[in-house]
Amino acid sequence: MSETAQSNHTEKKDFLVRSSSLKDVRTFCREVFEKLQIEQNLKDELVLAIAEAAQNIVKHAYKNDPQTDDKMVVQISCKDNKLQIGFYDMGTPVDPNKVKHREIDNVKPGGLGTFFIQEIMDAVEFKDGKKPWINHLVLTKQL
Amino acid sequence: MSYKVDEIDNKRVVHLNGEIDMEVSDKARNTILPLIEAGHEVQINLSKVDYMDSSGISVLIESKKLSEQKKTKFELIEVSKPVEKVLAMARKFL
Repeated sequence: MSETAQSNHTEKKDFLVRSSSLKDVRTFCREVFEKLQIEQNLKDELVLAIAEAAQNIVKHAYKNDPQTDDKMVVQISCKDNKLQIGFYDMGTPVDPNKVKHREIDNVKPGGLGTFFIQEIMDAVEFKDGKKPWINHLVLTKQL
Repeated sequence: MSYKVDEIDNKRVVHLNGEIDMEVSDKARNTILPLIEAGHEVQINLSKVDYMDSSGISVLIESKKLSEQKKTKFELIEVSKPVEKVLAMARKFL
Protein backbone atom coordinates (compact mmCIF):
# COMPACT_ATOMS: atom_id res chain seq x y z
CA MET A 1 0.00 0.00 0.00
CA SER A 2 3.04 2.25 0.01
CA GLU A 3 1.87 4.06 -3.13
CA THR A 4 -1.20 5.39 -1.38
CA ALA A 5 0.22 6.48 1.95
CA GLN A 6 0.78 10.18 2.29
CA SER A 7 4.27 11.16 3.27
CA ASN A 8 5.08 13.53 6.13
CA HIS A 9 1.86 13.66 8.10
CA THR A 10 1.60 14.02 11.88
CA GLU A 11 -1.40 14.20 14.17
CA LYS A 12 -1.72 13.86 17.90
CA LYS A 13 -4.52 13.86 20.41
CA ASP A 14 -4.83 13.50 24.16
CA PHE A 15 -7.25 11.24 25.98
CA LEU A 16 -8.23 10.75 29.59
CA VAL A 17 -6.54 7.62 30.92
CA ARG A 18 -9.74 5.62 31.28
CA SER A 19 -11.06 2.47 29.66
CA SER A 20 -13.96 4.57 28.37
CA SER A 21 -11.44 6.51 26.22
CA LEU A 22 -10.39 3.46 24.22
CA LYS A 23 -13.25 3.86 21.78
CA ASP A 24 -12.16 7.47 21.17
CA VAL A 25 -8.58 6.32 20.61
CA ARG A 26 -9.81 3.89 17.95
CA THR A 27 -11.93 6.58 16.28
CA PHE A 28 -8.95 8.97 16.18
CA CYS A 29 -6.72 6.31 14.64
CA ARG A 30 -9.28 5.33 12.02
CA GLU A 31 -9.68 8.97 10.99
CA VAL A 32 -5.93 9.48 10.63
CA PHE A 33 -5.46 6.22 8.72
CA GLU A 34 -8.33 7.21 6.46
CA LYS A 35 -6.42 10.41 5.58
CA LEU A 36 -3.29 8.35 5.00
CA GLN A 37 -5.31 6.07 2.68
CA ILE A 38 -4.15 2.94 4.44
CA GLU A 39 -6.01 -0.10 3.19
CA GLN A 40 -8.67 -1.65 5.38
CA ASN A 41 -6.90 -4.83 6.39
CA LEU A 42 -3.78 -3.05 7.61
CA LYS A 43 -5.88 -0.28 9.13
CA ASP A 44 -7.75 -2.82 11.27
CA GLU A 45 -4.49 -4.33 12.48
CA LEU A 46 -2.92 -0.96 13.28
CA VAL A 47 -6.03 0.19 15.16
CA LEU A 48 -5.90 -2.99 17.22
CA ALA A 49 -2.20 -2.55 18.04
CA ILE A 50 -2.69 1.09 19.06
CA ALA A 51 -5.78 0.31 21.13
CA GLU A 52 -3.90 -2.49 22.90
CA ALA A 53 -1.03 -0.13 23.72
CA ALA A 54 -3.47 2.46 25.06
CA GLN A 55 -5.21 -0.27 27.05
CA ASN A 56 -1.86 -1.22 28.59
CA ILE A 57 -1.44 2.36 29.81
CA VAL A 58 -4.89 2.28 31.44
CA LYS A 59 -4.44 -1.19 32.88
CA HIS A 60 -0.78 -1.25 33.89
CA ALA A 61 0.63 2.29 34.14
CA TYR A 62 -2.53 3.48 35.95
CA LYS A 63 -3.85 0.18 37.41
CA ASN A 64 -7.22 1.02 35.88
CA ASP A 65 -7.64 3.94 38.30
CA PRO A 66 -11.12 5.36 37.64
CA GLN A 67 -10.32 8.58 39.56
CA THR A 68 -7.37 9.83 37.54
CA ASP A 69 -7.69 12.98 35.49
CA ASP A 70 -4.34 12.36 33.81
CA LYS A 71 -4.21 12.29 30.08
CA MET A 72 -2.25 10.17 27.64
CA VAL A 73 -1.17 11.40 24.22
CA VAL A 74 -1.24 9.36 21.05
CA GLN A 75 0.80 10.74 18.16
CA ILE A 76 0.69 9.24 14.70
CA SER A 77 3.37 10.24 12.21
CA CYS A 78 3.98 9.04 8.71
CA LYS A 79 7.23 9.98 7.03
CA ASP A 80 8.64 8.39 3.90
CA ASN A 81 6.16 5.53 4.23
CA LYS A 82 7.28 4.74 7.75
CA LEU A 83 4.53 4.92 10.31
CA GLN A 84 5.51 5.88 13.84
CA ILE A 85 3.05 5.90 16.71
CA GLY A 86 4.06 7.52 19.97
CA PHE A 87 2.34 7.11 23.33
CA TYR A 88 3.04 9.42 26.25
CA ASP A 89 1.76 8.99 29.79
CA MET A 90 2.53 10.04 33.35
CA GLY A 91 1.73 6.75 35.06
CA THR A 92 3.91 4.23 36.87
CA PRO A 93 7.24 3.84 35.06
CA VAL A 94 7.25 0.80 32.80
CA ASP A 95 10.12 -1.66 33.05
CA PRO A 96 10.59 -2.75 29.42
CA ASN A 97 12.16 -6.00 30.59
CA LYS A 98 8.88 -6.99 32.22
CA VAL A 99 6.75 -6.28 29.16
CA LYS A 100 6.45 -9.71 27.64
CA HIS A 101 3.60 -11.65 26.17
CA ARG A 102 2.71 -15.06 27.53
CA GLU A 103 4.36 -18.22 26.41
CA ILE A 104 2.50 -20.06 23.71
CA ASP A 105 1.64 -23.01 25.91
CA ASN A 106 0.23 -20.81 28.66
CA VAL A 107 -3.43 -20.34 27.80
CA LYS A 108 -4.34 -18.16 30.75
CA PRO A 109 -5.92 -14.88 29.67
CA GLY A 110 -3.72 -11.79 29.75
CA GLY A 111 -0.61 -10.73 27.91
CA LEU A 112 -2.43 -11.13 24.62
CA GLY A 113 -2.44 -7.41 23.95
CA THR A 114 1.35 -7.24 23.99
CA PHE A 115 1.46 -10.28 21.74
CA PHE A 116 -0.86 -8.58 19.23
CA ILE A 117 1.26 -5.42 19.25
CA GLN A 118 4.42 -7.41 18.58
CA GLU A 119 2.73 -9.44 15.83
CA ILE A 120 1.43 -6.37 14.02
CA MET A 121 4.21 -3.82 14.39
CA ASP A 122 7.80 -3.98 13.11
CA ALA A 123 9.29 -2.49 16.26
CA VAL A 124 8.22 -1.73 19.83
CA GLU A 125 10.51 0.56 21.78
CA PHE A 126 10.32 2.22 25.18
CA LYS A 127 12.16 5.53 25.29
CA ASP A 128 12.90 7.79 28.21
CA GLY A 129 9.90 10.02 28.83
CA LYS A 130 10.84 13.67 28.75
CA LYS A 131 9.12 15.86 31.36
CA PRO A 132 6.25 15.92 32.09
CA TRP A 133 5.98 12.45 30.64
CA ILE A 134 7.07 9.32 32.47
CA ASN A 135 6.62 6.72 29.76
CA HIS A 136 7.18 7.09 26.04
CA LEU A 137 6.37 4.08 23.88
CA VAL A 138 7.08 4.10 20.15
CA LEU A 139 5.61 1.62 17.70
CA THR A 140 6.83 1.60 14.11
CA LYS A 141 5.70 -0.02 10.91
CA GLN A 142 7.07 0.24 7.42
CA LEU A 143 4.19 0.79 5.01
CA MET B 1 -21.97 -3.75 23.35
CA SER B 2 -25.41 -5.26 23.57
CA TYR B 3 -26.44 -8.88 23.78
CA LYS B 4 -29.35 -11.28 23.56
CA VAL B 5 -29.60 -14.81 24.93
CA ASP B 6 -31.78 -17.45 23.26
CA GLU B 7 -32.78 -20.46 25.33
CA ILE B 8 -33.17 -23.77 23.51
CA ASP B 9 -33.59 -26.65 25.96
CA ASN B 10 -30.25 -26.82 27.82
CA LYS B 11 -28.52 -24.70 25.18
CA ARG B 12 -27.97 -20.95 25.51
CA VAL B 13 -27.10 -18.98 22.39
CA VAL B 14 -25.48 -15.65 23.24
CA HIS B 15 -25.68 -13.07 20.44
CA LEU B 16 -23.15 -10.30 21.04
CA ASN B 17 -23.39 -7.03 19.19
CA GLY B 18 -21.06 -4.04 18.75
CA GLU B 19 -17.50 -3.54 19.92
CA ILE B 20 -15.92 -5.63 22.68
CA ASP B 21 -13.03 -3.98 24.45
CA MET B 22 -11.76 -3.54 28.00
CA GLU B 23 -14.64 -1.19 28.80
CA VAL B 24 -17.32 -3.81 28.17
CA SER B 25 -15.51 -7.14 28.53
CA ASP B 26 -16.78 -7.59 32.10
CA LYS B 27 -20.31 -7.30 30.80
CA ALA B 28 -19.60 -10.07 28.29
CA ARG B 29 -17.87 -12.14 30.97
CA ASN B 30 -20.74 -11.71 33.43
CA THR B 31 -23.18 -12.75 30.74
CA ILE B 32 -21.41 -15.88 29.52
CA LEU B 33 -19.62 -17.43 32.51
CA PRO B 34 -22.75 -17.87 34.72
CA LEU B 35 -24.44 -19.78 31.89
CA ILE B 36 -21.50 -22.20 31.72
CA GLU B 37 -21.32 -22.34 35.51
CA ALA B 38 -24.98 -23.40 35.52
CA GLY B 39 -24.11 -26.33 33.25
CA HIS B 40 -25.60 -25.02 30.03
CA GLU B 41 -24.22 -25.76 26.59
CA VAL B 42 -23.22 -22.30 25.33
CA GLN B 43 -22.92 -21.05 21.77
CA ILE B 44 -21.60 -17.57 21.01
CA ASN B 45 -22.72 -15.69 17.92
CA LEU B 46 -20.14 -13.04 17.03
CA SER B 47 -21.48 -12.20 13.57
CA LYS B 48 -22.43 -8.68 14.65
CA VAL B 49 -19.28 -7.86 16.57
CA ASP B 50 -17.33 -5.24 14.59
CA TYR B 51 -14.30 -5.10 16.85
CA MET B 52 -12.77 -7.31 19.51
CA ASP B 53 -9.50 -6.81 21.33
CA SER B 54 -7.49 -8.96 23.73
CA SER B 55 -10.05 -8.33 26.50
CA GLY B 56 -12.74 -10.03 24.43
CA ILE B 57 -10.44 -12.89 23.47
CA SER B 58 -9.66 -13.36 27.16
CA VAL B 59 -13.37 -13.79 27.88
CA LEU B 60 -13.54 -16.51 25.22
CA ILE B 61 -10.48 -18.26 26.66
CA GLU B 62 -11.93 -18.15 30.19
CA SER B 63 -15.25 -19.44 28.88
CA LYS B 64 -13.59 -22.32 27.06
CA LYS B 65 -11.56 -23.27 30.13
CA LEU B 66 -14.60 -23.13 32.42
CA SER B 67 -16.62 -25.27 30.02
CA GLU B 68 -13.85 -27.87 30.05
CA GLN B 69 -13.93 -27.89 33.85
CA LYS B 70 -17.70 -28.18 33.87
CA LYS B 71 -17.64 -30.72 31.04
CA THR B 72 -20.12 -28.70 29.02
CA LYS B 73 -19.98 -27.67 25.39
CA PHE B 74 -18.79 -24.19 24.40
CA GLU B 75 -18.50 -23.04 20.80
CA LEU B 76 -18.47 -20.07 18.50
CA ILE B 77 -21.14 -20.47 15.86
CA GLU B 78 -20.79 -17.36 13.71
CA VAL B 79 -17.86 -14.99 13.57
CA SER B 80 -17.57 -11.64 11.77
CA LYS B 81 -14.55 -10.97 9.56
CA PRO B 82 -12.90 -8.47 11.95
CA VAL B 83 -13.21 -10.93 14.83
CA GLU B 84 -12.00 -13.83 12.68
CA LYS B 85 -8.79 -11.90 12.01
CA VAL B 86 -8.17 -11.32 15.70
CA LEU B 87 -9.00 -14.95 16.49
CA ALA B 88 -6.53 -16.07 13.82
CA MET B 89 -3.80 -14.05 15.50
CA ALA B 90 -4.75 -15.43 18.89
CA ARG B 91 -5.17 -19.01 17.64
CA LYS B 92 -2.03 -20.24 19.34
CA PHE B 93 -3.53 -19.18 22.65
CA LEU B 94 -6.90 -20.84 22.05
